[in-house]
Amino acid sequence: MLKLNHKHFFLLPGLIVLVAIIIFPLLFTLRVSFSSWDVVKPGLDWIGGKNYVRLFEDMRFWEALSRLSLMAVGSVLIQYIIGFGLALLVWRDIILKRFVRVLFLVPMMTTPVIMSVIWRTILHESLGPANDIVQVLGFEPLNWLSTGGMAVLSVILVEVWQWTPFMFLLLLAGLLSLPDEPYMAAAIDGAGAFRTFFSVTFPLMAPISVGALLIRLIEASKLMETVYVLTSGGPGTATETSSYYIYIRGLRDYQIGYAASLSLTYLVIMIISLTIIAKVLTYKMARD
Amino acid sequence: MATIELSRIAHTYEPDSDEPVYALKELNLVWNDGGTYALLGPSGCGKTTMLNIISGLIRPSRGNVLFDGVDFTDLPTSKRNIAQVFQFPVIYTLMTVEENLEFPLVCRRMPKKERSRRVREVAELLNLRDKLKRPARKLAPDDKQMISLGRGLVRNDVSALLMDEPLTVIDPQLKFEIRRKLKQINEHYGLTMVYVTHDQNEAMTFADTIVVMNDGEVIQAGTPQELYNRPETTYVGYFIGSPAMNLIDSRYVDGRLETAGGSLPVPEGVSIPPDVQTLQVGIRPKYVRFTDATTPETLSGQVNMVQELGNSRVVTVEINGEKIRMKLSPDTTIPEREVRLSLPEEHICLYADGVLLCRDEDNVCLSVPHQPGSEAEPMG
Repeated sequence: MLKLNHKHFFLLPGLIVLVAIIIFPLLFTLRVSFSSWDVVKPGLDWIGGKNYVRLFEDMRFWEALSRLSLMAVGSVLIQYIIGFGLALLVWRDIILKRFVRVLFLVPMMTTPVIMSVIWRTILHESLGPANDIVQVLGFEPLNWLSTGGMAVLSVILVEVWQWTPFMFLLLLAGLLSLPDEPYMAAAIDGAGAFRTFFSVTFPLMAPISVGALLIRLIEASKLMETVYVLTSGGPGTATETSSYYIYIRGLRDYQIGYAASLSLTYLVIMIISLTIIAKVLTYKMARD
Repeated sequence: MATIELSRIAHTYEPDSDEPVYALKELNLVWNDGGTYALLGPSGCGKTTMLNIISGLIRPSRGNVLFDGVDFTDLPTSKRNIAQVFQFPVIYTLMTVEENLEFPLVCRRMPKKERSRRVREVAELLNLRDKLKRPARKLAPDDKQMISLGRGLVRNDVSALLMDEPLTVIDPQLKFEIRRKLKQINEHYGLTMVYVTHDQNEAMTFADTIVVMNDGEVIQAGTPQELYNRPETTYVGYFIGSPAMNLIDSRYVDGRLETAGGSLPVPEGVSIPPDVQTLQVGIRPKYVRFTDATTPETLSGQVNMVQELGNSRVVTVEINGEKIRMKLSPDTTIPEREVRLSLPEEHICLYADGVLLCRDEDNVCLSVPHQPGSEAEPMG
């Protein structure tokens, strides 16, 4: 039996906030997902699992989910590779080291929505500078945002531009914390630059790499504002991600009950898949 | 196989400073082929800097590194025939023990067959034979350190093995075993071995020649016996031996050494420079004895403290404020309070300004122990 005394009251502010912002909304959403609450008939009626049955047959949701996986994993991997490359570049002594390091961080400090608007302008097919450059280089103008494949690539491009600095920052901090001895030993063993990277740097960076990849994957699975501004999920549904689809169902169509069931399903899938990814990455890369 | 010569080497880590602090002051040293050397000195005295200069991880601010007379100063580490073991084991975490040992050979493009033959040989020597297929990161620290060592031994081009406090992470019982193994390797391969340590016992048991360093300078280089019996400076006397050498202040008056509690004759063969009056009498604690005689050559004092060390007891005797320590066998009876001590003349070392005054029979004796720019001093 928990004996209440004065010290437990100090937990109260934290508990109230927790209940108010997490537990109550979660339970309420759960209840709403079993109702047919929509714009025509608002209210908490009980329709059993109908929303969930509908969801399983809703291919648009599953397509959005697989598209999200592709875009999240793809963009995070590209961010990792470029971020690692940049970090290696400014790790050792180069001229203007400090300046370059700060310069690389600029994209991260900009507001995502504003940057997406600017990118939309840049990629505008008849007015934007992107196609001007493509034409100067002697190629046909590209349909940056109006064909499905290109639109997905454009979203990934903007994501990579925005979030590579974050990857860069984490990996650079990791590189700077590495001990000297393994590098001395590798030099004595006669390892060249490539062998030193794959035998020393990469294994030593494994724990930090796992952390960085996971943080970015969790962030990227919420991918929404870039899509909203850049393509609005289009052309058609070509760049629609899960959160964007849920947003359309819930806050555009006002199918509150159905959107609630979508959200919960999405939440469960994300928790399971990210846990599996985390386990696999940790096992593979940071076995010590 | 190589004789390594450091010629007028000096190093500072702040070359751009107006008044750079030298981690290594200008020095000349020769490491003879096949010798075992210990670099002994307190932390920060420049031992590691010297090793890293030899292996090429650091380029010296001044001076040259010669291997068999050939200037290697600008040669990169991988091109030198040097292996180095660091304080903490360095292993390639994703590789097995075998792949770790093989790594330097793979980097040097040795054929597979030759590689596995050498790996097997070294694994045998280092007791890693039955662990070859295991992931290196799963091994205990001492085995990991054996892998670091093995990566040096496996190469056929290595002529010198540099070790930077390699036994720090090893259990005390194993240290003895590994030092013996290192000796064995020295004999087996004829490698020149340089061993950095701040533990004098380690240095004494491992090396033929001990180089004592302090504050970026070489203070004395010699055999363990020389360093123990004839320390050339009071610093070496204090640093080597446990408990440290007794140093008693004395004045040179009328051909005798006036000290607290008595007066001693000047040891035979020592000539005292005319302008010197204050001297220090140095004697190892194990040579000081109790005596019943009351001649002027004996010092009178009081027993101050007795420490039991198991196999010996250390007695501190106070003589007019000076403390003299004696190392006695555990069954010695210790007089109650008033005692007289005899300091056998043949074991006395006399120091003026901290530097040993040589006896006639001393053949190795530097008048000024670390003269910059002097000719290289061969050791061992």
